[in-house]
Amino acid sequence: MKKTILSMALLLTIGLLYAQKKTTTSATISFDATTAIDALPKAENKTVIASLDTKSGKLAFESTVKSFTFSNPKIQEHFNNKGWMNSDQYPIASFIGEISNLSVVKFNKDGVYNVIVNGELTLHGVTKKVETTAIFTISGKAINAAANFSIKLDDYDVKGGAILAGKVSKEPTILVSADF
Amino acid sequence: MEFYKRHKKWFIVLFVLTFAICLSIWYLFNLKHNDTVDVKADFTVNALAFIKEFQQDMTSANKKYSEKIIVVNGTISAIELADTTTNIKMIDMTNNSFIIFAFQQQHLTEAKMMQIGDRVSIKGSCSNGAFSNILETEYITFKRCGVNK
Repeated sequence: MKKTILSMALLLTIGLLYAQKKTTTSATISFDATTAIDALPKAENKTVIASLDTKSGKLAFESTVKSFTFSNPKIQEHFNNKGWMNSDQYPIASFIGEISNLSVVKFNKDGVYNVIVNGELTLHGVTKKVETTAIFTISGKAINAAANFSIKLDDYDVKGGAILAGKVSKEPTILVSADF
Repeated sequence: MEFYKRHKKWFIVLFVLTFAICLSIWYLFNLKHNDTVDVKADFTVNALAFIKEFQQDMTSANKKYSEKIIVVNGTISAIELADTTTNIKMIDMTNNSFIIFAFQQQHLTEAKMMQIGDRVSIKGSCSNGAFSNILETEYITFKRCGVNK
């Protein structure tokens, strides 16, 4: 009996050590939609859920839109309103995709690897295909994935008055970082 | 000059109006979030009961708590360090549903001193609750948190 329990515990430990799906609930996404006439529309969300399957290269992110924090409470209110993100109706932004050149990443060897990520980004209830480059930094057992890209708000049907007035950039830059 | 004298009253009104508009714009552009710890809480809840309320009816819980200042009393189950930040989690161990707290910049030191198992009282702005397709569980996010005094 003792041997069986020991064997099961050993198998479980090995399984956990070599688990391929890594997750975090503290990834960060920040965006910068500032323009020459308004320096306020930029925010950060520090409680993004992310997962990475090191074997298949599948990558996913989920972000609650209301978790984005702005320095200015009025801008935050506008951001969540119907004219911009309409976060009561569309509370989640998500990405599901994969690393298309996974073979370049050696997860068991420290280094910095440039990868290409393809997938579908869902924002404001609209899903679009996206492709971006990302940097994977491996240090011991720690993996950091980071990407910097921009999107067109028009593609996601985000067309508030502030955007038309030039107070919010039509193509904000987005910075994603996840420590697995 | 004659024109100015005749319309002096209107020039003063115009000046006062322009000044008031500029002042309002300046005020709006320079608004900052208050320190959450100093803001009166709308609700005080127990972490596990709070999670249960979201599990039972996510829509009505979001209507009730979203963007409200809430004091959550509970035990720290996990601490996640990421980037320059420290997030605190309270987890319902029976189903892995959780509350996650992101701290205001001025309260990050307090978060960094916390330890798993500590009984704490955290005040923050509840963003909302949702079901995670990645983790296959419910979660509730808080922003701009601090330790309740």
